[in-house]
Amino acid sequence: MIKTVGGYWDPIIWIIAFIVIFILAYMIRAIGKKEYRKGEQIKPFLSGMEEPSKEAVHIRASNLYWGFVEALKSYYETMKKMHTGIINDYVAWFVGITAIIFIAVFIVGII
Amino acid sequence: MLGELLFKTVIASIGITIFAVIFGLLFKGIDRKLVARMQMRVGPPIRQPFLDVIKLMSKETIVPENAVGWMYNLAPIICLASSIILLLYIPIGNFEPLLGGHGDIILVIYIFLIPALAMVAGGFASGSPFATVGAQREMITMMSYEFPLAVVIIAIVWKLSNIGGDIFSLQFISSHPIWEEVGLLGLIGGIILLLALVIVTPGEVAKIPFDVAEAETEIAHGLLVEYSGRNLALFYIADAVKMFAMASLVVALFFPYNLSDFIKLDEIVAYIADFLFFLFKVFLVMLFSISLVRAGMARLRITQVVSVYWITITLIALFGLVLLMWDNQYSIKWW
Repeated sequence: MIKTVGGYWDPIIWIIAFIVIFILAYMIRAIGKKEYRKGEQIKPFLSGMEEPSKEAVHIRASNLYWGFVEALKSYYETMKKMHTGIINDYVAWFVGITAIIFIAVFIVGII
Repeated sequence: MLGELLFKTVIASIGITIFAVIFGLLFKGIDRKLVARMQMRVGPPIRQPFLDVIKLMSKETIVPENAVGWMYNLAPIICLASSIILLLYIPIGNFEPLLGGHGDIILVIYIFLIPALAMVAGGFASGSPFATVGAQREMITMMSYEFPLAVVIIAIVWKLSNIGGDIFSLQFISSHPIWEEVGLLGLIGGIILLLALVIVTPGEVAKIPFDVAEAETEIAHGLLVEYSGRNLALFYIADAVKMFAMASLVVALFFPYNLSDFIKLDEIVAYIADFLFFLFKVFLVMLFSISLVRAGMARLRITQVVSVYWITITLIALFGLVLLMWDNQYSIKWW
């Protein structure tokens, strides 16, 4: 049993339960029909269109989270603007944030 | 001692598999019938999901030429197994969770991710552009609803930390209903958190309006487009079981009351009555968080799913959490 400050779990018991249920799920699957005809039907379904080349339909890693980035566009735009690549800017951020933490922890904290 | 624990785990796993498959499919049938009636259709009979599984089992299980075979075939089994294992950690009626002492609510939240991840893996392994887009959408949906879900869970656990004990244990949470630990502000906070969880539920089980990963009319069932026969049957059962497990979790967190708490009953009669009452509560949760929403709404776009969960629902859940915190400071009794 692994216990932390917050919670607990027993990985061994979890794995045993998972293996038993996995075998049962496999047995359920084994009831089904195994055979299939290897003709036209093994080609990917593309609503009747000709399959483009693999490169053409490959989703790049940069597009993987498109919906997420698009929905939070304004946030990402702001963050991009802040990341100028100039070391002076990063040092200025570092000094500024350190000052805020200093004020929050030491000055306001003492009061 | 160890042998006894192993024996108990094996028997519990077998028992819960039978229970999960039967009741998952039964409730899926009820959901389909209800949605049909709400839309003025006759709808399929309640036993239809069982017939669907039998039919799928007799169909060809096609493995597409572009697919990564082993992953493509493995994903549905992992999806079903991880959906079923959830019920081992969630209390059912008056029965304590079968493995409640061996895993807490954080574990349950993590296990909820596995079926979705298995579907993503299966989608990518299909080698189909539609499935790839579906898998990509499933990942984004998953990233979206996890945040408000975590806020709801943490808020409840934090509130219960006032009374001390095994606060992360679902057994503990369900034996200390949040409504009995709060004042007026906490009551409003609790209702807001419940609302947030009710909106997270259709996202967690990929139902309308959050079923962007399987959008039939748009990407031809998305990550399941290439699946057929017994593999599709397993995903179908897993979907039903996950829906039942999610509703059971909502019941355990917010409506853990049993009939035997209010009416004096004999031990065996109490177990039966509480079990039937539990099924009724699961039915109500499914009715309000899945069936009604599914019948009355259209599918959102993927960007809307993200903004709804990350901005609207997260803010609502955080407001509920703040109300619970204020409840500690200004305790105003509501009863």
